[in-house]
Amino acid sequence: MKLLTDIRLLFWRKMKETLRNPIYMLNSLLTPIIYLALFAPLLRKLVGVPGLNGGDILNVFIPGLLVIIAFFGGLFVGYNMIDEVRNGVVERFRVTPTSRFALLAGRVLRDMVNMLVIVTVFVVVSLPFGFRPNVLGFLVFVPLLCMMLITTSSAGNALGLLLRDEDRLSPIVQGINLPILLLSGMLLPMELAPQWLQVLAHFNPAYYAVEAGRVLVAGHITDIKVAEAYAFMLPLTVLTVWWATRAFRKAIA
Amino acid sequence: MSDVVVSTVDLKKYFSARSGVVKAVDGVNLSVSEGQVFGFLGPNGAGKTTTLRILTTLIPADSGQAIVAGCDVLRDPDAVRCRIGYVSQAGGSDRPATGRENLVLQGRLYGMARPNAEERAAELIDLLDLTDFADRIVYTYSGGQRRRLDVALGIMHQPRVLFLDEPTTGLDPQNRANLWEQIAKLKSNGTTIFLTTHYLEEADTLSDYVAIMDYGRIVAEGTPEQLKRQVSCDTIRITLGNPGQAAAVMQMLEGQPVVKAVAQESDCLRISVDNGEAALPEIMRALDAQDTAITGISLSTATLDDVFLEKTGRSLRDTGAQGGAQ
Repeated sequence: MKLLTDIRLLFWRKMKETLRNPIYMLNSLLTPIIYLALFAPLLRKLVGVPGLNGGDILNVFIPGLLVIIAFFGGLFVGYNMIDEVRNGVVERFRVTPTSRFALLAGRVLRDMVNMLVIVTVFVVVSLPFGFRPNVLGFLVFVPLLCMMLITTSSAGNALGLLLRDEDRLSPIVQGINLPILLLSGMLLPMELAPQWLQVLAHFNPAYYAVEAGRVLVAGHITDIKVAEAYAFMLPLTVLTVWWATRAFRKAIA
Repeated sequence: MSDVVVSTVDLKKYFSARSGVVKAVDGVNLSVSEGQVFGFLGPNGAGKTTTLRILTTLIPADSGQAIVAGCDVLRDPDAVRCRIGYVSQAGGSDRPATGRENLVLQGRLYGMARPNAEERAAELIDLLDLTDFADRIVYTYSGGQRRRLDVALGIMHQPRVLFLDEPTTGLDPQNRANLWEQIAKLKSNGTTIFLTTHYLEEADTLSDYVAIMDYGRIVAEGTPEQLKRQVSCDTIRITLGNPGQAAAVMQMLEGQPVVKAVAQESDCLRISVDNGEAALPEIMRALDAQDTAITGISLSTATLDDVFLEKTGRSLRDTGAQGGAQ
């Protein structure tokens, strides 16, 4: 009970920050909208290429964009964490009898709510452009997006807590940012990739989520790709949350 | 009142650094009585903050034992956390929230119901003079305002022991004096205060008991008066109205039981005594009895810096730039 109260309290602490500055949320909406407006039209010429067939091109492209929204929604939270470490906020909380898991969960939940709002707005925006997701499939896709965000947000927080320095965090964040994006098959399907690149992609959680998203939006809930994505994302999420909670317990921050 | 609320036995914490092992805390034994202001004095890098972090459950000691408010820091950290307050060097207030929000959340995390937390927050806003800015975002606070909020956060749940890590570092003299006042107020409410500082005046003014730390070890401890008396005696200087009397006055003073030594300086007599404040009236009386006219008198008492100097061979004032394990 105390755990749930703590999570709720710490969630609202961060949520109030968002509500005081909703402009940041618009910011994260901007990137996918630019992709939709300036990149998606290029793909229309490629219909028929392996991995790009089946209905409207947006049904292929938008699931990838949603995964990227979820991925980036957590990737950069480490900077804010460093800020709070520096101001002694984390240390203050760690001296209260608050569960270490709640210290993490409050932040991650706020990031997840932000992500869900952005995803919802983005899907609504893309409907007039021709995006037609299968409703049930989409509902099965959302938990995958949530797991993706929980993973990156937990990892981002843990890295901020352990590194405590923007100059040490930046190379890591920038270092995983582009490879994950390119190897997810979000921009161009991985079917076009040479063998070695396809093998690499199989180590990328975003790749599984994008693949599953595409078949789910098309309504193929029983496709093996969906099971694969869940089988990959679920343990990864649990592992990252465990690691990040441990960071809150041990960090000399 | 004499219950021990913080005690450590042979506490050790070593860090490995590029230059080798840093013995941040190297066998520290402490004992803090209930209701005391305990001043933990030492230069930067002496190991004060590391000791504080062990006592506040933030890091585990390598060996030794620490009992805070009756609970073992290592075995029962949550019980310790419920009973202590902590204000770190960095402060701890959440910048994008208001002062009042900070306080209420802090109370709630300690398990207070919302109405109680709100009531207590209002009380502290009053007590620490936060009224004018309590509902503003902390980003807009001045250094002194934020510091007062930090302290309010530390005592939100009425802890038995409040740990303050260098509370006045970076504050201007006026804000420092204000914070000293607040600390004295807390003490009068019965809160035990464990205070680290590298300011001599601060330790001297606020503390009932002082421990001096250097290179991970306690090099001296006692009440500030005891410590100062240990090292050197106080000095009284008198200027005679008639310098021709000097020899006779010196002889008379040497006969006084409170006087340890008398020496002539250029235009005055320097009298060494154990306890300047107690000796001063006696010396005045003796001078009076002899009808000796004096035109000036001054008393300089030993400082904690004299203590530090004698124990470590360095002056505390010169060690500020030293780095080390914090």
